[in-house]
Amino acid sequence: MVTALFRRLGQTLIVLIGISVLIFAVFFATPGADPTARIAGKNASPQTMERVRHEYGFDRSLPVQYATMMKKLFITRDLASYTNRGQLVVPEIIQAAPVTLSLVCGAAVIWVLASVATGTMAARWRGTWIDRGLMMAGLVGISIPVFWLGEVANLVTQARYHDTWMFSWVPGPGYVPLTEHPWAWFKALVIPWIVLAVMFVGIYGRVLRADLVAVSGEDFMRTARAKGLSPWRVLIRHGLRTSMITFISLFGLDFAQLLGGGALLTEVVFGLQGVGRLTYQALAGLDLPLIMASVMYSAVFVVLANAVVDIVYVALDPRIRDGR
Amino acid sequence: MFSSGPWGQAIRALRYNRSAMIALAVLLALALLCALAPIYARHIAKTDPFTSNVAGTVLVNGQETDIMQPNDNPLHLGLSPIGPTWHPQSFLLGADSQGRDVAARLLYGGRNSLIIAFGAATLCILMASCIGIAAGFFGGITDAVLSRLMDIMWAVPVYLFAISLSIVTITQGLKIGPFTIASDNLMIPVFIIALVYVPYAARPVRGRVMTLRSAEFVIAARSLGVPRRRILVKDILPNVLPTLVVLAPLLTALSLLAESSLSFLSIGVQAPAASWGTIIQDGEGLIYTRPMVAVAPGLMIVITVLALNILGDGLRDALDVRETSRRSG
Amino acid sequence: MTRLFSFLSSAVLLCLFSPAMAEGIARPAEHAGGTLHLAAQSSPGTTDPQVSYFMAMYQVEAVVYDGLTTFTKGPGPLSRHAIADLAESIPQPQDDGHTWIFHLRRNIRFSNGKLLSPDDVVASMRRIFRVNSPTAGPYYSNIVGGAECLKDPDHCTLENGVIADNQAWTVTFHLTRPDAEFADRLAFNHAVILPADTPAHDTGNSAPPGTGPYRIVSYDPSSSMRLERNTHFRQWDAAAQPAGYPDRIEYRFGSDPESSVTAIENGQYDWMAENIPLDRLAELGSRFADRVHIVDFLNLYYAALNVNIPPFNSLKVREALNYAVNRHAMVIHNGGPAVAAPSCQMLPEGSPGFEPVCYWTRGADPQHPALRWEAPDMEKAKQLVRESGTAGQKVTVITAQQPEYMAMANELRSTLAELGYDASVRSMVQAVQFGYIQNSDNRVQISLTGWNADYPAASSYLRTLLACDMFHPHSDNSINISGYCDPDTDRLMDRAADLSVTDRNAGDRLWAEADRRFMAQVPTVPLVQVRWVMPLSARVKGDVSAPVYQVVFSRFQIR
Repeated sequence: MVTALFRRLGQTLIVLIGISVLIFAVFFATPGADPTARIAGKNASPQTMERVRHEYGFDRSLPVQYATMMKKLFITRDLASYTNRGQLVVPEIIQAAPVTLSLVCGAAVIWVLASVATGTMAARWRGTWIDRGLMMAGLVGISIPVFWLGEVANLVTQARYHDTWMFSWVPGPGYVPLTEHPWAWFKALVIPWIVLAVMFVGIYGRVLRADLVAVSGEDFMRTARAKGLSPWRVLIRHGLRTSMITFISLFGLDFAQLLGGGALLTEVVFGLQGVGRLTYQALAGLDLPLIMASVMYSAVFVVLANAVVDIVYVALDPRIRDGR
Repeated sequence: MFSSGPWGQAIRALRYNRSAMIALAVLLALALLCALAPIYARHIAKTDPFTSNVAGTVLVNGQETDIMQPNDNPLHLGLSPIGPTWHPQSFLLGADSQGRDVAARLLYGGRNSLIIAFGAATLCILMASCIGIAAGFFGGITDAVLSRLMDIMWAVPVYLFAISLSIVTITQGLKIGPFTIASDNLMIPVFIIALVYVPYAARPVRGRVMTLRSAEFVIAARSLGVPRRRILVKDILPNVLPTLVVLAPLLTALSLLAESSLSFLSIGVQAPAASWGTIIQDGEGLIYTRPMVAVAPGLMIVITVLALNILGDGLRDALDVRETSRRSG
Repeated sequence: MTRLFSFLSSAVLLCLFSPAMAEGIARPAEHAGGTLHLAAQSSPGTTDPQVSYFMAMYQVEAVVYDGLTTFTKGPGPLSRHAIADLAESIPQPQDDGHTWIFHLRRNIRFSNGKLLSPDDVVASMRRIFRVNSPTAGPYYSNIVGGAECLKDPDHCTLENGVIADNQAWTVTFHLTRPDAEFADRLAFNHAVILPADTPAHDTGNSAPPGTGPYRIVSYDPSSSMRLERNTHFRQWDAAAQPAGYPDRIEYRFGSDPESSVTAIENGQYDWMAENIPLDRLAELGSRFADRVHIVDFLNLYYAALNVNIPPFNSLKVREALNYAVNRHAMVIHNGGPAVAAPSCQMLPEGSPGFEPVCYWTRGADPQHPALRWEAPDMEKAKQLVRESGTAGQKVTVITAQQPEYMAMANELRSTLAELGYDASVRSMVQAVQFGYIQNSDNRVQISLTGWNADYPAASSYLRTLLACDMFHPHSDNSINISGYCDPDTDRLMDRAADLSVTDRNAGDRLWAEADRRFMAQVPTVPLVQVRWVMPLSARVKGDVSAPVYQVVFSRFQIR
């Protein structure tokens, strides 16, 4: 187990180094990416350009520059942005993380509850119009582009019907820290939560229903039914438990990707300065230090989540545990 | 051609699947409509949907009307493009902030969106089946390397991956050997979207090939000394095909969503060309005064993607293939 | 600059709306105290006043720091020159303009309690070079020793250039050549006076002490900045550095413009740094007209034509495009006639040296100039293109991705297509685009950009954007984007600068002449000049505008 853990850690490290080297190389191969002029300021004299190039080390060899950047990012943690002179990137990420965390956790609560509800209901009334209706609704949910749904939500709550009783409580786009004002935090995030959750409710509800239907043919389910347990009880106590394995592994990966910046479209539409939006801005502005920091942050999350999912998987499913 | 056998059965099953047939009809109708975009623009709306026209006027109900309409507030602040007239001859769905006909752009945009989506899905399936078949059929070190590579790609959020690739290529175009693809070429989003979804498609293909490899008829063929290439062509490929057919509409749906997202972030289809995503982006700046600009293309996306998903479901049921899915928001 | 509005600019509020104007004049009972709430989408970078180059930070620093000179922190005309701040008066330059002797005010203390002395001034001038200030070269290298400091900042002394006299309490500057704009340059934030012991590197998030009425108490670029009163501040000149009304200033970052507008309407914020999204203008105009101020400032959107490569190396093609461009459409793309006006020359309206003239409108040409732009002349333009024989060539417009730039770029593309070119648009993120279009290696034919000057001067448009020595081939920092060079006009501009030292009006007339010469050769297509739409919350009283700074935070009276 421990050796496996170390091997995993070693693999992860190699992957992370690989990604960072790749980003670094691509950045310096892109025309217009040379940050010297941007740092020096508009209309700076050639001498000032030279000085800046020297002070920031852009005149040194790429491996040296790479090593310096990694040192500044991970050890001294004083890596500064190239576009916004003097802005440190590590605090910027630390500031963005709670925004994304709030967004994704809230959405996750909604999508887990809603998809378990729709999935079980559809499976319970399999073949009826309830099943068909729920599954079609799920399919619609999967088919809506999240950024457009966000736009429409903004249109309804911010522009069109903001002055009606229904949406006058909706605050302007933006984030309020939980510690500062819990109720305002909730109000600011509830619509982004729902918008982000819609698609996942669709996917998870459908996956869960399919699993429940598949599992219902298995022996232990038949036995449970034969014992005279109510169909709901059988479904929830026995069926759901088994089906949760797929559900949880899927959830772990999606959750981690969203935390690592996958929720960027929702963040962009709702003006939430989270990790995804930050990464997008960094990429769009070709701000290498910020790109590096945010991608590393994202990669760490994804790798961690993969590991956790594996462990949970082993813990939940006796077949896998015994196989090792 | 597929009158009997598994394919014939599948087609019959699909024919009896009413929702799948409706979806197919909707898709064909949409594609036809978008293909006719130039005719609508030239002969019905009589407008160039790519040229900005803010200083112009248009006849509405026989009256000469400014395309950009002033507001009569005390400060004379703000100009709003003409709203939907519901007349196909002039600004059916209104104008965007550059005074262009939204309806005509919607059709042209749909053309680009559909071309990119189908192109990306096709390219993706081609690449994925090569990789999946290679990994599944040859196994060993080939499989290990390819699978690890897929794992890494699988681990990066799809949209972040696509955005990174787009930003680099949009800035400098794409150079492959002696060929340069300009940054406004549709091949760039096609290529990028196909690439990011390769792991999505390669995994099920690989799984299917692995199962087939240990299937009795393949083992039998092997023991009879049939050359590997022949096994691949005669036994493996035909049996992987259903998986690919089921994947195709789903991948097209995903590609369409990815394309619209990239275009929404202005790193997909480049101005002045349109796609449904770019029109939504144009509409974002008009959401307070002219919401139709953002709403209409979004509805088109929802309808198209929904139809593709329903078709995919129908195909899966008809061909009896299980899917794996991953998306990200 | 490029991103008009986020970099430094010079501006004046011409308070257009009469009720607000009346209040500004009537001066109601003054309200001191309270907290002023400001909002911006992103933080304005480093607080180091000698490094920072963002408009939003410039506005903050205007109430935290002082230079020897400054610009009036009150309403007035766009064209103006520096007034004395830490100096007792603007001295008459001696020695044919080579020597400036400033008498320093006495008994002024930094926010850390230290007394301001002539040594601080010398140290601050040295620090401009030590911290690689962006303007060290263009603005301050004409101080004796400045050129050496630029090359070797670590050993910079300026020992013969800036001399402190602690007895007479004066600072003497020696210049290598006379400079009519020297006092204006000293008023810019890169030349503010900091304590002599301020470290010689970018201080980043911890702001050095200043002499203004406020001090930056905390600054977290990812969330907020907080200013409180500088208890050592005593008002010495209400025009140069007025004592502040609010007790505290809270600046929040991360609010996007759409929500900032709503928040100002509802009174959660008092002021926002960004321009108003065009989609919200109608709403502001109809529901909050009494709280909206429209501010004039010096700025110019223009298309730079690369005069060194086809097709714009042909004068005829450049003239053709200038005739063909529909500047009225450009005005609409920027929000309509209420907030934008067509530009036909490189100097913006209101700038020193501005004399209205337009060669490139229907019915005009360089021999028969009109006063302002009226309408495009497509016939003449097409004729010129035919004569040039360049029709059918590929032309790519490079633009930034902001909506207003994209709209203008597409307008240009349409015009070029109508003239017979195979035209296309390429858009890039602003930060990348601005460097990309300057570098001659990228062979950009035509690019769209904007400019607003650090202080009101004709030179910051004409010399900076079009002089020969502002073109640096193969560099991302070559602000003469057109790559234009005409030594005769350069000499004319030198004469204008020299003459301005003794006779500003005569100098301005020469600058106007230079402007006309450029417009006869049209290395650019001037497009529009915009105005700033500034909504304020209902609780703000008084006139808060000022040229150069646009707003002065210390002058917000909060009920």
